Amino acid sequence: MSNIPDPILEGLQRGWKVLGGKHGPLPARIDCDVAIIGSGAGAGITAELLTKAGLNVVIVEEGQLKTSTDFKQREPEAYASLYQESAGRKTKDKGITILQGRSVGGTTTVNWTSSFRTPPDTLKFWQDKFGLKDYNVEALAPYFQDAQTRLNIAPWAVAPNENNELLRRGAAKLGIACEVIPRNVKGCYNLGSCGMGCPTNAKQSMLVTTIPFALDHGATLLVETRVEQLKIADGRITGMQCIAVKPNAAPVSTADPATTIVAKHYVLAGGAINSPALLLRSKAPDPHKLLGKRTFLHPVAITLAVMKDTVAAWSGAPQSIYSDHFLHTQPIDGPIGYKLEVAPLHPVFFGANLPGFGEKQAELFRQYPNANVMLALMRDGFHDQAVGGAVELRGDGSPLLDYPLTDYVLEGARRSMLAMAQIQFEAGATMVYPGHEMGEGTSTWLATKAAIEALPMKPLLTKIGCAHVMGGCGLGGDDKLGVTRPDGVHWQLENLSIHDGSIFPTSIGANPQLSIYGNVNRLAQGLAKRLASKDVTLA
Amino acid sequence: MSNHLPPHLQRRTFLKLGIASAVVLAVAGGAVALIKPGLVDGKLSPSARLVYTRVAQALLAGTLPRDAQAQQKAMDALLDRADAFFAGLPNHVQAELSELLGLLATAAGRRGLVGLSASWEDATVAETTVALQGMRVSSMALKVQAYQGLHDIVCAPYFSGDESWVLLGYPGPHAV
Repeated sequence: MSNIPDPILEGLQRGWKVLGGKHGPLPARIDCDVAIIGSGAGAGITAELLTKAGLNVVIVEEGQLKTSTDFKQREPEAYASLYQESAGRKTKDKGITILQGRSVGGTTTVNWTSSFRTPPDTLKFWQDKFGLKDYNVEALAPYFQDAQTRLNIAPWAVAPNENNELLRRGAAKLGIACEVIPRNVKGCYNLGSCGMGCPTNAKQSMLVTTIPFALDHGATLLVETRVEQLKIADGRITGMQCIAVKPNAAPVSTADPATTIVAKHYVLAGGAINSPALLLRSKAPDPHKLLGKRTFLHPVAITLAVMKDTVAAWSGAPQSIYSDHFLHTQPIDGPIGYKLEVAPLHPVFFGANLPGFGEKQAELFRQYPNANVMLALMRDGFHDQAVGGAVELRGDGSPLLDYPLTDYVLEGARRSMLAMAQIQFEAGATMVYPGHEMGEGTSTWLATKAAIEALPMKPLLTKIGCAHVMGGCGLGGDDKLGVTRPDGVHWQLENLSIHDGSIFPTSIGANPQLSIYGNVNRLAQGLAKRLASKDVTLA
Repeated sequence: MSNHLPPHLQRRTFLKLGIASAVVLAVAGGAVALIKPGLVDGKLSPSARLVYTRVAQALLAGTLPRDAQAQQKAMDALLDRADAFFAGLPNHVQAELSELLGLLATAAGRRGLVGLSASWEDATVAETTVALQGMRVSSMALKVQAYQGLHDIVCAPYFSGDESWVLLGYPGPHAV
């Protein structure tokens, strides 16, 4: 039995206002200063700042409230309760599997803690192509620093686990530089279970930082409650209709909406895919047909290596070493660049995501302790052959992302597989398998190189995953360039702000959580000033 | 029904796979009307259970215990976990999988989509393996999608079970 304190259960005992699901029925109508849709990275930062400014805030989360007491480091329970669509959300043609969070804290509850500022070359592209002149390194630096201080973000000071160390070792032999990943942790036990919810509350996710702050300062949290529709009249939101949902997202009842929330201002922070979907369901104005378009994923190509020695990729900080070498070997709008990282490996993730089946795969399963999966996160959104996907609605109103994989992106998969395989062999791999349905294991770099060069790079055959969802409500310096104004307000709806990863006009080119914290920090500080005439900061 | 609900909640879900099913059946000489749902109340129907079992025996060949009695026990546990897995999925995913499994349970779907001539009752692991490999690398997207769907719904529940940890050499969660 764990004796680790659970700050959420303690808060509930102190009388936090949490409703929905087992926490109690929703009232028919709620009035507040600001209604925040979602409870992830953008929502959490916004909730803390607005409550600090004295505003009456209501936070609406579709997923459940799960806490460290629930986090047993077991995949089936975690995937079913903490991820969108049981960690099996897929693009329309099923060519990409999307890992995205769905519980209080959003993806921050289950991410692997990697924290990077928005890269300078990404910001430069936004300035040049999207008229976002204030989105520059100097102007954003204090907001990033503030978020980093609040969330204890610092380069991982402990030795990397072997899974990460082998990336550094193999890359070094090829003259490829690697760096240490900054993480948002405090007193980390180095377990490696971040993706199933941190059982020790060391991860400084929204679940244990900003959301508790907001609740301690009078905010109300509705859980297992989905905002179905924003009511719109004369360029303003006049209210939002919410329904109670089951753990699998199905409506509890087909009767009337569970509650209607009326606020002075609304903040949409349901994450990319979900935020544009709500605006589509609500028939929000979209004069330039930009809504839901340019949704980016950092499509991820993989290679699996069996190493000479034990790796134990399930144990230790999941991500602590990265390389940006291949983001800088060509122009940002040239052949697609990619960031190299590794994946932690637990049984379901390993068993369900490896290509192949039967006797051959059974052999591979027995090599699990020696396995390493390397990841190439491709930087989409900077080229006319990488314009991302478009969010659509299914007949039941749920979102569906149509993201066709272009030859341009798939050629990046081939180049990155070659780079990763070579690094893995340099680090001591005895076999490497490309993430491809036709990929076979080969035992030398030359054989693997020939095999990868011969693979048909087609959607579905090439195994592509993703854990970063961005765009769909992109920022633009004028209304023809984006859905969202540079100050975070919707271009056509004056009392709606959008504060999540959906505002990014391209992918970030790095794990996006700190990009959301830093950029939203500035937007939410501005919103607090406008609504409450207060200067507030996170730290 | 209340008129307070947004229109999309008042419409029936339309499944994309529906069109594909019709195409497969038309080619293979079946009829959409013959498809029975593969999932009933979120659980495998008897015919879908047979499809699932045969597919799992091929996908997990070499992983499942070789001893017949032990394999049966493992398969029973897998089927239980599969039902729990399906029940947790969103309605639209359940509906799509129900249609896929229902289609595969028909003779036309089995021949047209899987490429398996033996009945599910009689199919050997070797025959199912050949058919699944054909789907896996097919030039027809629907076949690859169906293969990958089957792989997901078999492997995710299988590796959710602690008994797979021994095979993998996974020591289980760290104590905290």
